[in-house]
Amino acid sequence: MTRAAYLRGWLTTVDHKRIGLLYLGSAIFFLLVGGLEALLIRAQLLQPNLALVSPDTYNALFTMHGTTMIFLAVMPLGNAFFNYMVPLMIGARDVAFPRLNALSYWIFLAGALLLNASWLVGTPPDAGWFGYANLTTRQFSAGPNVDFWMLSLQVLGVSSVIAAVNFIVTILNMRAPGMTLMRMPVFVWMTLVVQFLVALAFPPITVGLIFLMFDRFFGTHFYNVAAGGDLHLWQHLFWIFGHPEVYILILPAFGIVSEVLPTFSRKPLFGAPVVIYSGVLIGFFGFGVWSHHMFAAGMGPVADAAFAIATMLIAIPTGVKIFNWLATMWGGHLQPTVAFHYAAGLIALFTIGGLSGVMHASPPVDLQQHDTYFVVAHMHYVMIGGSLFGLFAGLYYWWPKMTGRLLDERLGKAQFWLLFAGFNVAFFPQHFLGAMGMPRRIYTYNEGAGWGLWNFVSTMGAFGIGLSVLLFLVIVARAMRAPAAAPADPWDGRTLEWRTSSPPPEHNFDVIPPVYSRDTFWREKYGDRHGRTPPPRPDPPHAGAHGIHLPSPSLWPVVVALGIGVAAAGALTHVAIVVLGVAVTFVGAFAFALEHHRNPAHARQDGNLDTDHRKLAMWVFLGSECFFFGTMIATYMAYRGRSVIGPYPEEILNIPLTTLSTFDLLMSSLLMVLALAAVQRGDRRQSRLWLAGTVFFGLIFLGFQAYEFIHFVHEGLTLQTNLFGSTFFVLTGFHGAHVTLGVAWLAALLVLDLRGQLTVADAPKVEIAGLYWHFVDIVWIAIFTLLYLIP
Amino acid sequence: MSTLVARSDLNRSILHVYTIITWATVVIGVIVFAALGWILLRYRSRPAGGALPPQTRGHTLLEIAWTIAPALVLLVIAIPTLQVIFRTQQAVTPSGALQVTVRGYQWWWEFHYPTLDVLTANEVHIPVGRTIEFRLEGPDVIHSFFVPQLAAKRDVVPGRVNFITFTADQPGEYWGQCAEFCGLSHANMALRVIVDTPEDFERWVAAQRAPAVEPAGDAARGKEIYARSACVGCHTITGVSAGVLGPTLTHFGSRGTIAAGMWPNTPDNVAAWVRDPQGLKPGVKMPNLGLTPEQARDVAAYLSALK
Repeated sequence: MTRAAYLRGWLTTVDHKRIGLLYLGSAIFFLLVGGLEALLIRAQLLQPNLALVSPDTYNALFTMHGTTMIFLAVMPLGNAFFNYMVPLMIGARDVAFPRLNALSYWIFLAGALLLNASWLVGTPPDAGWFGYANLTTRQFSAGPNVDFWMLSLQVLGVSSVIAAVNFIVTILNMRAPGMTLMRMPVFVWMTLVVQFLVALAFPPITVGLIFLMFDRFFGTHFYNVAAGGDLHLWQHLFWIFGHPEVYILILPAFGIVSEVLPTFSRKPLFGAPVVIYSGVLIGFFGFGVWSHHMFAAGMGPVADAAFAIATMLIAIPTGVKIFNWLATMWGGHLQPTVAFHYAAGLIALFTIGGLSGVMHASPPVDLQQHDTYFVVAHMHYVMIGGSLFGLFAGLYYWWPKMTGRLLDERLGKAQFWLLFAGFNVAFFPQHFLGAMGMPRRIYTYNEGAGWGLWNFVSTMGAFGIGLSVLLFLVIVARAMRAPAAAPADPWDGRTLEWRTSSPPPEHNFDVIPPVYSRDTFWREKYGDRHGRTPPPRPDPPHAGAHGIHLPSPSLWPVVVALGIGVAAAGALTHVAIVVLGVAVTFVGAFAFALEHHRNPAHARQDGNLDTDHRKLAMWVFLGSECFFFGTMIATYMAYRGRSVIGPYPEEILNIPLTTLSTFDLLMSSLLMVLALAAVQRGDRRQSRLWLAGTVFFGLIFLGFQAYEFIHFVHEGLTLQTNLFGSTFFVLTGFHGAHVTLGVAWLAALLVLDLRGQLTVADAPKVEIAGLYWHFVDIVWIAIFTLLYLIP
Repeated sequence: MSTLVARSDLNRSILHVYTIITWATVVIGVIVFAALGWILLRYRSRPAGGALPPQTRGHTLLEIAWTIAPALVLLVIAIPTLQVIFRTQQAVTPSGALQVTVRGYQWWWEFHYPTLDVLTANEVHIPVGRTIEFRLEGPDVIHSFFVPQLAAKRDVVPGRVNFITFTADQPGEYWGQCAEFCGLSHANMALRVIVDTPEDFERWVAAQRAPAVEPAGDAARGKEIYARSACVGCHTITGVSAGVLGPTLTHFGSRGTIAAGMWPNTPDNVAAWVRDPQGLKPGVKMPNLGLTPEQARDVAAYLSALK
């Protein structure tokens, strides 16, 4: 194979396993980048009053360290395993949408490169990974530093939500026959919970970032105190995302541990249903505890008390998991592999992090611990001791499956103990520093504060962590030089991924494996509790790779991602580049959508839930959109009446006219229903008529909106006028953008229909466009009611 | 800065909860670690081949037990937590409380006593035994007022007003620092709270309300330099200048530290500061004035004389 063909193979791959490897490689690279940033931070704090790096560099280092580790290292490491393992573990040949999967990765890469390009041009983000407004506004952060941060986070968010939709559909709809939900491996369950968290938690921060972007680029007032803005807004939006994000980072590790411990205890997971339910419960509670990050912000005693109780409650399902893991090992035949070391290490370290978390769940205690090194210690016990240890367990456990090569167990144990020791030396003393009152995010400290000793110790430990990571690279390099000789089932595994070769063939399984129970592969090998093994299923005559439809490679994911990356980079440079990027994105998206339009293998995509993959995906996406618009509408409501100057809504909103446009949009939904019915029964004349009608009514609505906007501008209301103008135009504008997208989508279907390329078999395509269209109409009814009708 | 030393009623309440939770978590931690350690030692390295261990799948009663047990422990934590939340965050100002408005600027603190007509910066005096109400306001970005031994912490949020109410137990000097990242010199935003006896506090208030002293000698030359340079645009010295962008200097010499707690207030440190504030405190709004060493010494002499 020539080098060009090799490169092209990776660029256009839609194989979930190769995409998983791409995530893995990128995540390890950014883990090194984030780790280097951490070591510079620790070196600067080695002693009082050091000047190894300048204060602005230091602020950039902790901002980029946090952002990188969360979005570019730990999340993508999870994604690597979701991608590689989930289809194998549920007995599928790929994910539901292989090209979307590639798109997620390439958009992620675009966002990651954009974020780190800020170092190369010398303006790295420096306002903290949490970017508290109003420090992030143009007034207090004039340079492009914050722009890099907010743009790349938006790009990364797009990638995450696309992946979330894809994995939810894959897990719900593509399980092998017999794999009921409660027979799914716990890792798959935790993946499912995580993807729901991603789909629902990213919209609030996206909205918060959009507000910030409009404030910085277009002079709106979302975070402008003088214009009536409330700085708690950003904190709420950020932590409504930020706390579920903690579970997005930790639940994959919990899932891995729940696979690794049973395998190496040679026992089933103790109380598997309870472990699953507690994971679901953690995800659910995760949305109700965000304000415990704001106990010092002054929310009042009632909110403090409510969020304290909610936060303490979340400790219960978390504790249950720990006890169930202990009970899994109890009475087992423990195989002390490196993966097992990491899983047991997670139990120990996460317990410490969880318990210190219970301490600052109490608001009075938090008033002493918040924003001190105590919290730094706590969150690293959770993020390294929890997430990273779990992910390392996964790396040692699944490395042979992913590469065909076992990692060296002897060196691996040394690597574990070095990390375990280095980590505890680095972070346990930070509890003391916190108790001694050392605040976070200070680039230096005076000798008199007495913080020198423990900072010195902590820095020594941090370099131990660095050495351990280097040793891991050595282990990986040694393994990869050896031939791919790992057996299919090196650990005597329990789940389906061990039933195929290491690494698996492109089509994963010659025959989709039968599923008899939880730990189905184990049962095939050892029988059920009475020792009865299931009768071997005869292989169908055409066993082998022949006749298996595999998704073909596609260049369009890279093109679309490139367009998005260019558009985001253009926002930092010149508007013409934005236009170019958007154009590339649109052309790419259309080509993407039409690539397999006439491919009969794509006509039906039914799955376990008796629902078309595409329809299920649209429902999940609309759930995410609900949170998007819900956040925008909630902001409008919260800011209602806070404008310090006019024009005010009651002076300017034209209810009769908007009633007309609302009626028009509702009627378009009716036409959409007629259009779908016509397509489904193959009535070409009517389908053209009603599709054209829907498009036309959509355009009329946009005309009304354009008229309204122009009228308002003439009346002296713009984005910049007051808080009302900012919230009104951004909310209705984003709704209008959705309508525009819907019109473009329906127009594309109409063109296909006119060219005779929309048949009965294409009805699902019209149906999902219709779902989107109805959703946009319903959102408008909410907007019309809340903005116009309720004074 | 220790958070485990309580020198006010507020912090004793906090420390009470802190202690309960610490012991509760230590006990749970010890139980989990003992169980983990015992399991790892007891069941380690059985040979992989041979008979399988008993394939236990779960035990409902046991699992219910270890769901309820942590819930009970949490109850022990939650009750004192709620008590302290509602006791320490009361909606009404206690009668007889001394109000002090705290304003957090990038990167220094301003203290205003509305009832006493006193304005000062970076070092706040309060009387022992009297209830204090800090009223936190922010003119620029979010800061967090953190005085571990007296007042714990509360954010200073522009556009909002937060309160900390407490009564200090014993006279002394207590350090505090900004705890919310607020930009370039976040690390250089310390403060001191000086708890005085009631008599000392009265004396301090009287001194702060007095007009600025008239200097002599070097200090008089320093005053001249001060009065004709850019200093007057930002700083107040009663009778000399009325700038409001920087901290008031009327009684600068009475403070123990300079530049928001960065160095002791000695004439040498002050001279170094006025020569090169940009070099000494990154991002500081105060420009370098181009003073010669002699001029800087004179200005320092003047400022130090402003007791």
